[in-house]
Amino acid sequence: MKKILQITLGIVTSVGGFLEIGSVLTAAQAGAVFGYQLLWALLIGTVCLIFLVEMSGRLAAVSKHTIVDATRERFGFPFFFIVLVGMVLVAVLVLIAELGGIGLSLQLLTGIGFPWWAIPVSLLVWLLMWKGTFSLIENGASLLGLITISFVIAAIKLHPDWSSAGAGLLPTMPHDQKARYGFIAVSILGASISPYLMYFYSSGAIEDKWDESYIGVNRIIATLGMSFGGFLSMAVLIAAALSLHPRGIQPDTFDKTAVLMTSAFPKWGIVLFAASMLVACFGAAVEISLAIAYFFCQGFGWNWSQNLEPSKNARFALVYTIIILSSAIPLVFGIDPVKMTMISMALTAAMLPVAIVPFLFLMNDPIYMGKHGNGWVSNSVVAIIIILSFILAVISIPLEIMGG
Amino acid sequence: MTEIHIELLLGTKVRDVDGEDIGRIEELRVERDDKALLVDAYLIGTSALIERLSAWTLVRPIQRFLNSRKLYSLYRVPWQDMDLSDPKHPRLRIAKRDLRHAK
Amino acid sequence: MDLVRDVLDRKLVDREDCDMGRVDGLVMQLGAHSQPRVTHILIGGTVPWTRLHPALRKLATNLARKWGPRRAEPVRIPWSRVITAGRDIRLDVKARDTGAIDWEIWIARNIIKRIPGGGQEEVE
Repeated sequence: MKKILQITLGIVTSVGGFLEIGSVLTAAQAGAVFGYQLLWALLIGTVCLIFLVEMSGRLAAVSKHTIVDATRERFGFPFFFIVLVGMVLVAVLVLIAELGGIGLSLQLLTGIGFPWWAIPVSLLVWLLMWKGTFSLIENGASLLGLITISFVIAAIKLHPDWSSAGAGLLPTMPHDQKARYGFIAVSILGASISPYLMYFYSSGAIEDKWDESYIGVNRIIATLGMSFGGFLSMAVLIAAALSLHPRGIQPDTFDKTAVLMTSAFPKWGIVLFAASMLVACFGAAVEISLAIAYFFCQGFGWNWSQNLEPSKNARFALVYTIIILSSAIPLVFGIDPVKMTMISMALTAAMLPVAIVPFLFLMNDPIYMGKHGNGWVSNSVVAIIIILSFILAVISIPLEIMGG
Repeated sequence: MTEIHIELLLGTKVRDVDGEDIGRIEELRVERDDKALLVDAYLIGTSALIERLSAWTLVRPIQRFLNSRKLYSLYRVPWQDMDLSDPKHPRLRIAKRDLRHAK
Repeated sequence: MDLVRDVLDRKLVDREDCDMGRVDGLVMQLGAHSQPRVTHILIGGTVPWTRLHPALRKLATNLARKWGPRRAEPVRIPWSRVITAGRDIRLDVKARDTGAIDWEIWIARNIIKRIPGGGQEEVE
């Protein structure tokens, strides 16, 4: 019975983790500029994420190690430190974007500019982590996250041509704006395949005391949960294709992006959009902050658990406190969260090899994985992700300059 | 008694008594005793690194795929044959040809 | 047992299951003609930073002397205190007494508990 409950909670958690400002804005960009043509990028991103998340959970359940634990132990401190710096730098940029997303949502609802919301919002995120337990965070943010289903309803209400949308699931080259196409595709992949989600998931599995009996459940959670998140992102793309594309609207501000909701819900669209983004970005901000704090603590061997009160894991609490509060600072100075999102998604794609290559070694380590190591299918998928991520790493920065 | 930090010994290049390059120290094999661990041997070479990273499951299929017959070197140097008087430049007390190439 | 794979960088726990950090370094004692012995585990201090680059040692020492518990030396635990070396390395010590969690205690006392809701009890 407990495992079934875990599945439903796990799926709901994935919703909270997958859909956030990056996936919404990149999907909206894709739909607005290229119609249905980039649906394949979301499909690939989702499939890759399913595999990676499943592996993260399996590693934790079988080896009783998180990815970071295992990375430090197997590769040593110097290599671990390089991964730490790379991952934390990118995660902080994404966190700034998420906190900015919460601020922009509140700006939509109240008219008060997002820089004014930066400090109150970050204090609220901090407070939830200071006082909340892992279950409260997992369940609370995720149940609220169900409001994002309004994107799906919006897409359906706009009467898409399903066969054209289906055709978008196969990769095609655009007639023009090739650099822009490439950049958005890279950003979609960077938004979908977020390393912090893997680190967070494996830490959560340890917090929830998973063991080998959870391997089956883990597979279900990873597949259904991430599919649901991918499905939501596709709905955003489709809604944007139907509402922004025909009118040539570029979703480079929140107001313009909200049109994908107001086209379907003229009366309540703004509120639904703002509420959905608020909840999605809030959940993501908490997950990223936890992921960064976990990274430090697991790597250095400090006490960590969201379920303990702060003084019982002081360094854990100090890390997330510093990270959250300092991420608010650029926003106070008015840095544009939308621009920040696009940059951070491209950089996430560029840093993927740093996260995925050691992961491949760990998933094939007989000491950690016993008889539950990767089969040839999983290994092939990871190998493809690594090749893809190297390509993304090399082309994302020039594309950023050319097409961003 | 000299004290050496093992974590700094890792990865240092080893030369034999004639100055020939053997490889890098990748692992130390030890035996347990009551109060301490006794160093039995030093493992040197790329094969030792692969072993330490538990990476054979990955390396062997890739080798097969590339049809490579390359044998990665692995030397097992008993403690008596290692001279660590200069820990930054470890030397063997014997020549490379006298080392047994470990499996 | 393989030292680098099975001991170095492993997590350390004390006899009450408290996390004590990781094996950042190991001390080996060499005699003129005797078998080398690994005698101590090193935790923290400048040890991990020196592994990154020898030049970082001085920087780490200077910083450590100025902040927190103000100790730059790593914690040395004799190997004789190791109970088991499995998934984690279990030591027959109390974390508090070794100095391994001095930073944890200092931060808890001087920063965390000064913030409302931070907690009342000392770290065990």
